[in-house]
Amino acid sequence: MLNYEEELKKFKPSLEVEDIEDAVYQEDLTDMSDLLKQVMDQKK
Amino acid sequence: MDYTKKIIRQSNYWYNDGLKKARIRDMSGAIVSLRRSLQYNKGNITARNLLGLVYYGRGEVVEALVEWIISKNLRPKNNLANSYLQNIQHSARGLETINQSIKRFNQCLVYCQQNGEDMAIIQLKKITVSHPTYLKAYQLLALLYLHTRQYAQAQQVLTKARKLDTTNEITLRYMQELTQIRGKKAKKPENKGTKKKKKRKKETVEYNLGNETIIQPAHRMVKELAGRFTLMNIVLGAAIGAAIVWFLIVPAVDETKSDKRNKEVLEYSERINALEAQLSAVTRTLDSYRADSADSEEAVQTAAATAESYENLMTASEQYNSGSYSEDTIADVLLAVNRNALGESGQERYDDLTSSIYPTACSIYYESGSASYNVANYDTAIEVLSKVVTMDESYEDGGALLTLGLACLENGDPESATTYLKRVNELFPDTDNAQEAKTKLEEIAAAASQDTEQ
Repeated sequence: MLNYEEELKKFKPSLEVEDIEDAVYQEDLTDMSDLLKQVMDQKK
Repeated sequence: MDYTKKIIRQSNYWYNDGLKKARIRDMSGAIVSLRRSLQYNKGNITARNLLGLVYYGRGEVVEALVEWIISKNLRPKNNLANSYLQNIQHSARGLETINQSIKRFNQCLVYCQQNGEDMAIIQLKKITVSHPTYLKAYQLLALLYLHTRQYAQAQQVLTKARKLDTTNEITLRYMQELTQIRGKKAKKPENKGTKKKKKRKKETVEYNLGNETIIQPAHRMVKELAGRFTLMNIVLGAAIGAAIVWFLIVPAVDETKSDKRNKEVLEYSERINALEAQLSAVTRTLDSYRADSADSEEAVQTAAATAESYENLMTASEQYNSGSYSEDTIADVLLAVNRNALGESGQERYDDLTSSIYPTACSIYYESGSASYNVANYDTAIEVLSKVVTMDESYEDGGALLTLGLACLENGDPESATTYLKRVNELFPDTDNAQEAKTKLEEIAAAASQDTEQ
């Protein structure tokens, strides 16, 4: 049986057009290569 | 093989996986795979562009724009994202509409938190019209329909949502929930449903025509109408039959019955008349018998009276001839003689005797009656004076009649008194006796009027 309140909490507000700039800046672009470089830098 | 190549290969692997899923519109799966691809290599432009396209495919346009903008930044030239962005920029009105839909969706979330489900449903319906690929709007609308027990609408919305994203976890869970609810509902009226299905099966006829399966109602409308018409005809026929019986047969039967009754009445009347005639005849016969009987009786009485009159006449004659009887005694015997019953010789003898005896007898009786009257012995006076009046009504110029009337009056018999006193006035109008009689008559009249007034 669905819990309406709980299900409702799973719905998050969608991004609006005005939020695009912030969203682009907040996007985590770290990938595996960046992680490896960080590891190697730490080893050095 | 160095790590860079391995990373790129791994990134490509997940891109290919995402592409496969995107092709079968498994958007959620594609997003996961493409995100992994980009985690291995953020420079995998095709993966990022595809991720943007997948977001766009399920209505999350802003998320798509974010990916495409990043993609363009990473590779400004020879990038498919440029065309995507240009297309959106060219249709600014479309983007504005989508943005309004997104704002409405966010507002709907607020409505839902404030128990404004009705308002949210109305808004979400509009959103799905203006932005038909907005998956989240369908899902939220389905949740609200489920919450408000509008399962049919929820089913429709979830079907559309599943077409947009075939493996979305929320969509599938809602569909499962809906299936469970319908299963519970179906179990309750199982018998009814089975019957309905059977009935439905009976009501339809399936047959193949070439490659097509045709399903048509077993009972066509015409047949149903024919059945109804038949029933109506039966009812109408019954009504007409009843009307014929009521208006034609019943009156005829009634008429026959009434004729029969009239005949019976006539027969009884005739019988009664015959019986009355018989009774009348019998009555007449009886009356005649009675009349005959009365006549004969009268004849007998007359004969007896005649015989008695003769006997009395003979007795009186013998007494007179013997000379030993007083006149009053002989007069008593003569008074018992009915002169009319005698023959001519008898009447002559009777007249001789009365002319000889009555004057003396009247004198004797008058004196005796007057004496009785004077001593107030009215009964005797009446008896004796009555004999005098019978013998000679005009005796003593009406004195006997007057005294007899007075005696009756004093004896309490005013009617007889009136008769005698009136007779005095008739026979001797200008005498003292008449004057006294008149006075007494006035007194009697006055007394009678007083009694009437009282």
